[in-house]
Amino acid sequence: MKKHWLETILKELHSEAYHWSRQCCSFDEDRAKDVLQLVYLKILEGKAVYKEKSQVKTWLFSVIRFTAYEELRKEGKNTSLDHLADMAYEDDPPENDSHEALLQALPERQKEVLLMVFYHDMTLEQCAEVMQLHIGTVRTHYDRGKKKLKEWIEKTRIEK
Amino acid sequence: MRNESDREIQSFFDQLKEKDLKIDFPVFPEPTKPSGINWWIPFGIAASLALGYFLWPQQKQDFNPPAEVIIITLEKDENDNQQILIEEKTYLETWESPTSSLLTEY
Repeated sequence: MKKHWLETILKELHSEAYHWSRQCCSFDEDRAKDVLQLVYLKILEGKAVYKEKSQVKTWLFSVIRFTAYEELRKEGKNTSLDHLADMAYEDDPPENDSHEALLQALPERQKEVLLMVFYHDMTLEQCAEVMQLHIGTVRTHYDRGKKKLKEWIEKTRIEK
Repeated sequence: MRNESDREIQSFFDQLKEKDLKIDFPVFPEPTKPSGINWWIPFGIAASLALGYFLWPQQKQDFNPPAEVIIITLEKDENDNQQILIEEKTYLETWESPTSSLLTEY
């Protein structure tokens, strides 16, 4: 019964899950598909278990994020999920002013919080659960990311 | 949580969402339901066993009793006349040690 119920919810969340997977994979569609496939496999094999402590969406997003970084780490593209560097970013917006390029230019955690809040309509508390960070830390990433992105959006508009 | 200044950012993400609508995403993988017992397997085994039973070369058992040995002996009677005695015996009854001749001859 529970399995069937979870399957129905996963089906409903599939489109959002795919977009989140793509966003976690630096907007690489092929990798996003592989990651999502791995996530479903983990759920099917009982390696990722939903314990009803959080919403299904929050749990699913957290599994996708973890799996995406696990795959990136295997390819040697990132060191670890816990050591995502919040490097100092450029003040100028990237030359490619597409939506994806602007988001990619942000530090990883700022990008994630903004996407979860504005794209996926999640609360900061839910973001904290997905990212396994303290709510205060998440709020800092949110404020900084918002400020930087706003600056870049305005700059690119003026340049155009 | 969101104020007036967030509108610009929200509109940025709305545009991104609209762009993403054009992206083809994979269909949700429907888990395949197990199809119960595949009856062809036990049926195949039973058919093979039945066929094997009929086609296996059966050894015909020999129910004939062991052939008896007819012993013909030539003996002398009281009048020194030679007489032929015919006896029928089984193998076991007529078994003789291969070395028994040594006892009589030496």
